[in-house]
Amino acid sequence: MSQYTETSGGFLSRIKFSRELVLLGVLIAIVIVMSLLSPVFLTLGNFLNTSRYFVEIGLISLGMTLIIITSGIDLSVGSNMALVSVVVGFSFLGGVPLPLAIVLGVVAGLAAGVFNGLFVTMLDLHPLVVTLGTFALFRGLAYGFSDADAVSSFPAWFAYFGQAYFGPVPGQLIVFVVAVVAVWLLLSRTRFGRYVYAIGHNEEAARFSGVPVQRVKLALYAGTGLLVGLASVIYVSRVSTARGDAGLGLELDVIAAVVLGGASIYGGKGSIAGTVLGVLIIATLRNGLLLAGVPSTWQLFLLGVLLLVAVFLNEFFRREEG
Amino acid sequence: MSGVSTTRVEKRSDGLLRRSMARPEAPALIFLLALVIVLSVVADGFLGTSNFEGILAQVVVIGIIALAVNQVVLSGEIDISTGSMLGLCAMAAGTVAVAGGGLFFTLLAGVVVGAISGAVNGFLVTVARIPAIIVTLGMLYALRGVLLLVTGGDWVTGLPAETRVLGIGSAFGVSLPIIILFALFIVMELVNRHSDWGRNVLAVGGNRRASVLAGLPVGWARFWAFVLVGVAVGIASVIYIGRAGSVQTNAGTGLELQVIAAVVIGGTSISGGRGSTLAALTGAVLIGVILNGMVLLGIPGVWQDAVLGALILLAVSTDVLRRKLLGDKA
Repeated sequence: MSQYTETSGGFLSRIKFSRELVLLGVLIAIVIVMSLLSPVFLTLGNFLNTSRYFVEIGLISLGMTLIIITSGIDLSVGSNMALVSVVVGFSFLGGVPLPLAIVLGVVAGLAAGVFNGLFVTMLDLHPLVVTLGTFALFRGLAYGFSDADAVSSFPAWFAYFGQAYFGPVPGQLIVFVVAVVAVWLLLSRTRFGRYVYAIGHNEEAARFSGVPVQRVKLALYAGTGLLVGLASVIYVSRVSTARGDAGLGLELDVIAAVVLGGASIYGGKGSIAGTVLGVLIIATLRNGLLLAGVPSTWQLFLLGVLLLVAVFLNEFFRREEG
Repeated sequence: MSGVSTTRVEKRSDGLLRRSMARPEAPALIFLLALVIVLSVVADGFLGTSNFEGILAQVVVIGIIALAVNQVVLSGEIDISTGSMLGLCAMAAGTVAVAGGGLFFTLLAGVVVGAISGAVNGFLVTVARIPAIIVTLGMLYALRGVLLLVTGGDWVTGLPAETRVLGIGSAFGVSLPIIILFALFIVMELVNRHSDWGRNVLAVGGNRRASVLAGLPVGWARFWAFVLVGVAVGIASVIYIGRAGSVQTNAGTGLELQVIAAVVIGGTSISGGRGSTLAALTGAVLIGVILNGMVLLGIPGVWQDAVLGALILLAVSTDVLRRKLLGDKA
């Protein structure tokens, strides 16, 4: 979290190089600009409403952060989301009781993650290639099983997962906060968390030091699959529709949020606090642009550019520091 | 590089069979042959000149781009932005064609837009030193965004006949796209065998650090590979619009996966440094045969992505296993 401060002594340079503070500043700047553009933007109601949309990206970003810290990547999360959504929807349509269908969906997400993990660890393939393959495979299975059709005949109680409110607070925001705390504890307070950083810094050295590299990696891809499963159930419940094109392009949002949050694509660096800020920035930007009436095509373009700028600045500053 | 030359000497003393099996595209070629035999027996209408020509015509766009992406992969990088790039190039070429630019300027528009996009990729990878997967993932969305912004979602229709020649024309009784594909294949094969750049690409992909130490232009070798992809996409886009006769804003969606699949299924190693031009071509034809076979066997098109994904995974796993079996740790 404070990797930057270690090299520099002065108080001013400490502030300058704390990435989380910079991100917080960016977030505040965006909020100010957006609230000038749209009167409804800076309201608690709008924030809580926005949170319904970023929780899905946020949950997956938590897993992705850990994967990226180990210098891996998972391009298949959007496709996995579609697969889970189709498993839930179509097993329900096929007569499986909905609670069981939900469990099946989450298990499918987990299984997809394990599948990624096994390929990465057992064959020692680069995760980029594996998840590019599963990016196509999972999406294809989702289209295939659903025959490119959609299910939206869910009973009313299913809406609970994605539309429930506790007072003014959306239910999924609570889920997200719990997940953030859990993953933060895992990464910063446990031996497993140290392993994750160790693998990212130098995998070979970690292996020689007795870190169970393969098992840690497998757990990360599996865990991310599980998070995708949860996120997908929330998503299907929120939009009341299960279909094969769910989560299209989701991997871009997620990866952008994580690298914006300061995780190095080369591994070894990254934090949950940074990722959460990254998610908030992207969500705020999207919400603000939407309220300001900017067409969604612009958003696609901006997100692509944002990803590139974020990675560039990350690596640029890192090089400056030596 | 010394390791590479020793293995090559050892291989020369092996038998012809083992030597040809060690070729990168060997498994794909065998698989292709087996598939053709099976489909000839099982699927009605597979065996025939018109179906073969149809398959080839379909894989031309994938094949041309795969020949260029093959160079990027050989150099140890990756490019997954080609789908959106094709859309943008097709739109630029289509707009010029409809405005009455004639074939030359239509082609020029496609190639220039492609080359610029490719140069942006190359710049970000080599100068800004952002990993290629991130660059081209970002560009996949950014370029599609540019396309939607510029056109506002409108189609380009009513392409004049003379600008469609590259897509639907024929010469010597063979359709022009197929001739272009094979011509470009020969050009790329010559480039890889006889040009400094071709050698550099392989060296850089095989061992980046050694290439730096040997004083090879590591940055430029990769930069030009990305530009080449842009140029290839530009050429392919004119064939694409020639065949379609119109351009939609979703042109080329998902193409990047088929291209990557073609390259790795063909036998070019995704970790760079190992592969061949023939691998990219074989991979493209193989994908064409598989998609064609799926149609003939009545497998619904919705399974296409799943088959593609499974094939990519199969190909990269085979690559790993084969390297272990051959004991070639290059």
